[in-house]
Amino acid sequence: MQTEWASENLQIIRTLMERSAVYRHALAPVMATIGLTGIGAAILEAFARMRTSGTFAAYWMIVGVICLAEAFFLTRRQAVKENEPFWSPPTKRVAQALSPAFFAGFVAGLVFLRFDPGNPRGAWLLVPGWMVLYGCALHAAGFFMPRGIKLFGWGFIVTGCVLGVGALFYTGQPSLSMANWAMGAFFGGSHWAYATYLFFTEKRRNAA
Amino acid sequence: MNAKPFLQIDRVIHEKGRLPIMSLLAASTSLSFTEMRDELGMTDGNLSMHIKTLQEAGFVSVTKSYSNQRPLTTCALTPAGRKAFADYIDLLEQIVRQAREAE
Repeated sequence: MQTEWASENLQIIRTLMERSAVYRHALAPVMATIGLTGIGAAILEAFARMRTSGTFAAYWMIVGVICLAEAFFLTRRQAVKENEPFWSPPTKRVAQALSPAFFAGFVAGLVFLRFDPGNPRGAWLLVPGWMVLYGCALHAAGFFMPRGIKLFGWGFIVTGCVLGVGALFYTGQPSLSMANWAMGAFFGGSHWAYATYLFFTEKRRNAA
Repeated sequence: MNAKPFLQIDRVIHEKGRLPIMSLLAASTSLSFTEMRDELGMTDGNLSMHIKTLQEAGFVSVTKSYSNQRPLTTCALTPAGRKAFADYIDLLEQIVRQAREAE
Protein backbone atom coordinates (compact mmCIF):
# COMPACT_ATOMS: atom_id res chain seq x y z
CA MET A 1 0.00 0.00 0.00
CA GLN A 2 1.15 3.52 -0.81
CA THR A 3 0.49 4.81 2.71
CA GLU A 4 2.77 2.27 4.37
CA TRP A 5 5.49 4.91 4.48
CA ALA A 6 3.34 6.89 6.94
CA SER A 7 3.25 3.95 9.39
CA GLU A 8 6.96 3.38 8.87
CA ASN A 9 7.74 7.04 9.55
CA LEU A 10 5.66 6.97 12.72
CA GLN A 11 7.57 3.87 13.83
CA ILE A 12 10.91 5.57 13.10
CA ILE A 13 9.82 8.64 15.08
CA ARG A 14 8.73 6.49 18.05
CA THR A 15 11.99 4.50 18.05
CA LEU A 16 14.19 7.58 17.82
CA MET A 17 12.27 9.43 20.51
CA GLU A 18 12.71 6.44 22.82
CA ARG A 19 16.40 6.16 21.98
CA SER A 20 16.90 9.86 22.61
CA ALA A 21 15.74 9.38 26.19
CA VAL A 22 18.18 6.53 26.88
CA TYR A 23 21.41 7.04 28.81
CA ARG A 24 24.22 5.96 26.47
CA HIS A 25 27.55 6.53 28.21
CA ALA A 26 29.76 3.46 28.64
CA LEU A 27 28.96 1.69 31.90
CA ALA A 28 31.84 -0.79 32.01
CA PRO A 29 34.39 1.61 33.63
CA VAL A 30 31.82 2.71 36.25
CA MET A 31 30.83 -0.89 37.07
CA ALA A 32 34.49 -2.04 37.23
CA THR A 33 35.45 0.79 39.58
CA ILE A 34 32.45 0.19 41.86
CA GLY A 35 33.19 -3.56 41.81
CA LEU A 36 36.81 -3.04 42.79
CA THR A 37 35.82 -0.58 45.51
CA GLY A 38 33.31 -3.07 46.94
CA ILE A 39 35.76 -5.97 46.93
CA GLY A 40 38.54 -3.74 48.31
CA ALA A 41 36.24 -2.46 51.07
CA ALA A 42 35.38 -6.03 52.10
CA ILE A 43 39.07 -6.97 52.28
CA LEU A 44 39.88 -3.80 54.23
CA GLU A 45 37.06 -4.49 56.67
CA ALA A 46 38.40 -7.99 57.24
CA PHE A 47 41.51 -6.35 58.72
CA ALA A 48 39.65 -3.58 60.57
CA ARG A 49 37.18 -6.00 62.22
CA MET A 50 33.92 -4.15 62.86
CA ARG A 51 32.41 -4.85 66.29
CA THR A 52 28.80 -3.70 65.97
CA SER A 53 26.04 -3.53 63.36
CA GLY A 54 26.18 0.25 63.66
CA THR A 55 29.84 0.48 62.66
CA PHE A 56 29.14 -2.03 59.88
CA ALA A 57 26.31 0.19 58.59
CA ALA A 58 28.45 3.33 58.85
CA TYR A 59 31.38 1.68 57.08
CA TRP A 60 29.32 0.44 54.14
CA MET A 61 27.41 3.72 53.88
CA ILE A 62 30.77 5.47 53.47
CA VAL A 63 31.71 2.90 50.82
CA GLY A 64 28.39 3.62 49.08
CA VAL A 65 29.08 7.37 49.07
CA ILE A 66 32.58 6.71 47.66
CA CYS A 67 31.04 4.56 44.91
CA LEU A 68 28.52 7.30 44.07
CA ALA A 69 31.34 9.85 43.88
CA GLU A 70 33.35 7.54 41.62
CA ALA A 71 30.33 7.04 39.33
CA PHE A 72 29.81 10.82 39.24
CA PHE A 73 33.41 11.61 38.31
CA LEU A 74 33.71 8.82 35.74
CA THR A 75 30.45 9.81 34.06
CA ARG A 76 31.46 13.46 34.07
CA ARG A 77 34.86 12.59 32.61
CA GLN A 78 33.24 10.61 29.81
CA ALA A 79 30.87 13.48 29.01
CA VAL A 80 33.76 15.96 28.88
CA LYS A 81 35.82 13.60 26.74
CA GLU A 82 32.96 13.13 24.28
CA ASN A 83 32.24 16.85 24.25
CA GLU A 84 28.74 16.37 25.62
CA PRO A 85 26.94 18.09 28.49
CA PHE A 86 27.24 16.09 31.73
CA TRP A 87 23.85 16.90 33.22
CA SER A 88 21.97 15.81 30.09
CA PRO A 89 18.24 14.88 30.14
CA PRO A 90 19.00 11.09 30.15
CA THR A 91 21.48 11.53 33.05
CA LYS A 92 18.86 13.53 34.94
CA ARG A 93 16.26 10.81 34.38
CA VAL A 94 18.64 8.08 35.58
CA ALA A 95 19.53 10.13 38.69
CA GLN A 96 15.86 10.74 39.43
CA ALA A 97 15.04 7.04 39.01
CA LEU A 98 17.86 6.00 41.34
CA SER A 99 17.21 8.53 44.08
CA PRO A 100 14.08 7.17 45.90
CA ALA A 101 15.57 3.73 46.59
CA PHE A 102 18.98 5.23 47.40
CA PHE A 103 17.29 7.57 49.85
CA ALA A 104 15.42 4.67 51.50
CA GLY A 105 18.68 2.70 51.78
CA PHE A 106 20.41 5.70 53.32
CA VAL A 107 17.61 6.12 55.88
CA ALA A 108 17.77 2.38 56.70
CA GLY A 109 21.50 2.77 57.35
CA LEU A 110 20.90 5.82 59.55
CA VAL A 111 18.32 3.87 61.58
CA PHE A 112 20.93 1.18 62.20
CA LEU A 113 23.42 3.82 63.26
CA ARG A 114 20.98 5.42 65.68
CA PHE A 115 19.42 2.23 67.08
CA ASP A 116 22.35 -0.12 66.82
CA PRO A 117 20.98 -3.57 67.68
CA GLY A 118 24.50 -4.68 68.60
CA ASN A 119 23.69 -8.21 67.52
CA PRO A 120 25.34 -9.20 64.20
CA ARG A 121 21.94 -10.55 63.10
CA GLY A 122 20.97 -6.90 62.60
CA ALA A 123 23.63 -6.54 59.92
CA TRP A 124 22.26 -9.68 58.34
CA LEU A 125 18.93 -7.97 57.88
CA LEU A 126 20.51 -4.75 56.62
CA VAL A 127 22.51 -6.46 53.85
CA PRO A 128 19.47 -8.03 52.07
CA GLY A 129 17.46 -4.85 52.66
CA TRP A 130 20.12 -2.77 50.97
CA MET A 131 20.42 -5.29 48.17
CA VAL A 132 16.69 -5.25 47.44
CA LEU A 133 16.61 -1.44 47.50
CA TYR A 134 19.68 -1.21 45.29
CA GLY A 135 18.07 -3.69 42.88
CA CYS A 136 14.90 -1.57 42.81
CA ALA A 137 17.00 1.53 42.09
CA LEU A 138 18.78 -0.19 39.19
CA HIS A 139 15.50 -1.56 37.85
CA ALA A 140 13.93 1.91 37.90
CA ALA A 141 16.99 3.40 36.19
CA GLY A 142 16.82 0.54 33.66
CA PHE A 143 13.86 2.25 31.99
CA PHE A 144 16.30 4.94 30.82
CA MET A 145 19.36 2.74 30.33
CA PRO A 146 20.36 -0.30 28.30
CA ARG A 147 18.12 -3.29 28.96
CA GLY A 148 20.76 -5.29 30.86
CA ILE A 149 20.52 -2.95 33.85
CA LYS A 150 16.98 -4.12 34.61
CA LEU A 151 18.14 -7.73 34.72
CA PHE A 152 21.10 -6.72 36.86
CA GLY A 153 18.63 -5.01 39.21
CA TRP A 154 16.47 -8.14 39.32
CA GLY A 155 19.58 -10.11 40.24
CA PHE A 156 20.06 -7.92 43.33
CA ILE A 157 16.37 -8.11 44.26
CA VAL A 158 16.25 -11.93 44.02
CA THR A 159 19.59 -12.40 45.82
CA GLY A 160 18.53 -9.94 48.53
CA CYS A 161 15.23 -11.79 49.06
CA VAL A 162 16.99 -15.17 49.22
CA LEU A 163 19.58 -13.80 51.67
CA GLY A 164 16.87 -12.15 53.79
CA VAL A 165 14.76 -15.30 54.03
CA GLY A 166 17.90 -17.34 54.68
CA ALA A 167 18.93 -14.96 57.48
CA LEU A 168 15.51 -15.26 59.12
CA PHE A 169 15.66 -19.07 59.13
CA TYR A 170 19.35 -19.39 59.93
CA THR A 171 19.60 -21.00 63.36
CA GLY A 172 23.35 -20.50 63.87
CA GLN A 173 25.03 -17.32 65.09
CA PRO A 174 25.74 -15.09 62.08
CA SER A 175 28.87 -12.98 62.31
CA LEU A 176 29.59 -9.47 61.07
CA SER A 177 32.47 -10.92 59.13
CA MET A 178 30.01 -13.06 57.13
CA ALA A 179 27.83 -10.00 56.45
CA ASN A 180 30.90 -8.10 55.33
CA TRP A 181 31.97 -10.83 52.92
CA ALA A 182 28.40 -10.99 51.63
CA MET A 183 28.65 -7.28 50.79
CA GLY A 184 32.02 -7.79 49.14
CA ALA A 185 30.82 -10.74 47.08
CA PHE A 186 27.30 -9.66 46.15
CA PHE A 187 27.93 -5.93 45.81
CA GLY A 188 31.57 -5.76 44.74
CA GLY A 189 31.76 -9.12 42.97
CA SER A 190 28.56 -8.71 40.98
CA HIS A 191 29.59 -5.26 39.74
CA TRP A 192 32.95 -6.62 38.70
CA ALA A 193 31.27 -9.52 36.87
CA TYR A 194 28.84 -7.16 35.15
CA ALA A 195 31.73 -4.88 34.16
CA THR A 196 33.51 -7.86 32.59
CA TYR A 197 30.33 -8.73 30.66
CA LEU A 198 29.93 -5.11 29.51
CA PHE A 199 33.56 -4.86 28.53
CA PHE A 200 33.03 -7.55 25.91
CA THR A 201 29.53 -6.56 24.83
CA GLU A 202 29.17 -2.80 25.24
CA LYS A 203 29.49 -0.73 22.12
CA ARG A 204 32.65 1.26 22.67
CA ARG A 205 31.86 4.52 21.00
CA ASN A 206 35.24 6.01 21.67
CA ALA A 207 37.10 3.18 19.98
CA ALA A 208 37.39 5.06 16.73
CA MET B 1 -8.89 8.71 -0.45
CA ASN B 2 -8.66 12.33 0.68
CA ALA B 3 -5.46 13.83 -0.77
CA LYS B 4 -5.49 16.87 1.52
CA PRO B 5 -3.16 15.46 4.24
CA PHE B 6 -0.55 14.54 1.61
CA LEU B 7 -0.51 18.11 0.33
CA GLN B 8 -0.16 19.55 3.83
CA ILE B 9 2.98 17.60 4.70
CA ASP B 10 5.87 19.82 5.69
CA ARG B 11 8.62 19.16 3.13
CA VAL B 12 11.35 20.46 5.45
CA ILE B 13 10.60 17.79 8.06
CA HIS B 14 9.55 15.11 5.58
CA GLU B 15 13.05 14.18 4.50
CA LYS B 16 14.92 11.07 5.53
CA GLY B 17 17.84 13.01 7.01
CA ARG B 18 15.85 15.67 8.83
CA LEU B 19 13.01 13.59 10.27
CA PRO B 20 15.36 11.64 12.61
CA ILE B 21 16.92 14.90 13.81
CA MET B 22 13.50 16.35 14.61
CA SER B 23 12.50 13.08 16.34
CA LEU B 24 15.57 13.06 18.57
CA LEU B 25 15.17 16.71 19.50
CA ALA B 26 11.46 16.31 20.17
CA ALA B 27 12.25 13.90 23.02
CA SER B 28 14.87 16.12 24.67
CA THR B 29 15.13 19.69 25.79
CA SER B 30 18.43 19.90 23.88
CA LEU B 31 21.09 17.61 22.44
CA SER B 32 24.71 18.18 21.59
CA PHE B 33 25.93 17.92 18.02
CA THR B 34 28.09 14.88 18.87
CA GLU B 35 25.22 13.07 20.59
CA MET B 36 23.06 13.45 17.49
CA ARG B 37 25.89 12.52 15.14
CA ASP B 38 26.64 9.33 17.09
CA GLU B 39 23.00 8.39 17.53
CA LEU B 40 22.12 8.88 13.87
CA GLY B 41 25.41 7.67 12.40
CA MET B 42 25.65 10.74 10.17
CA THR B 43 28.80 12.50 9.05
CA ASP B 44 29.57 15.94 10.50
CA GLY B 45 28.97 17.58 7.13
CA ASN B 46 25.67 15.86 6.48
CA LEU B 47 24.33 16.62 9.95
CA SER B 48 25.47 20.26 9.73
CA MET B 49 23.71 20.66 6.41
CA HIS B 50 20.40 19.28 7.70
CA ILE B 51 20.59 21.32 10.91
CA LYS B 52 21.23 24.45 8.85
CA THR B 53 18.10 23.74 6.78
CA LEU B 54 16.03 23.20 9.92
CA GLN B 55 17.52 26.34 11.46
CA GLU B 56 16.65 28.40 8.38
CA ALA B 57 13.09 27.08 8.56
CA GLY B 58 12.96 28.29 12.17
CA PHE B 59 12.48 24.78 13.55
CA VAL B 60 15.81 24.36 15.35
CA SER B 61 17.90 26.72 17.44
CA VAL B 62 21.65 26.23 17.67
CA THR B 63 23.66 27.38 20.66
CA LYS B 64 27.44 27.53 20.64
CA SER B 65 29.15 27.58 24.02
CA TYR B 66 32.19 26.23 25.81
CA SER B 67 32.32 23.25 28.16
CA ASN B 68 35.63 22.66 29.94
CA GLN B 69 37.35 25.00 27.50
CA ARG B 70 36.12 22.99 24.52
CA PRO B 71 33.49 24.23 22.06
CA LEU B 72 30.06 22.72 22.59
CA THR B 73 27.29 22.98 20.02
CA THR B 74 23.81 22.16 21.24
CA CYS B 75 20.56 22.06 19.28
CA ALA B 76 16.98 22.34 20.45
CA LEU B 77 13.57 22.54 18.85
CA THR B 78 12.05 26.01 18.76
CA PRO B 79 8.36 26.40 19.69
CA ALA B 80 7.64 26.63 15.94
CA GLY B 81 9.63 23.44 15.35
CA ARG B 82 7.78 21.62 18.10
CA LYS B 83 4.44 22.69 16.63
CA ALA B 84 5.48 21.76 13.09
CA PHE B 85 6.63 18.33 14.31
CA ALA B 86 3.38 17.75 16.21
CA ASP B 87 1.41 18.77 13.09
CA TYR B 88 3.53 16.41 10.99
CA ILE B 89 2.76 13.50 13.32
CA ASP B 90 -0.94 14.39 13.27
CA LEU B 91 -0.90 14.29 9.48
CA LEU B 92 0.84 10.91 9.42
CA GLU B 93 -1.72 9.53 11.85
CA GLN B 94 -4.50 10.96 9.72
CA ILE B 95 -3.06 9.27 6.62
CA VAL B 96 -2.73 5.91 8.43
CA ARG B 97 -6.29 6.23 9.78
CA GLN B 98 -7.68 7.01 6.32
CA ALA B 99 -5.83 4.05 4.82
CA ARG B 100 -7.29 1.71 7.48
CA GLU B 101 -10.79 3.04 6.90
CA ALA B 102 -10.41 2.55 3.15
CA GLU B 103 -9.44 -1.12 3.60
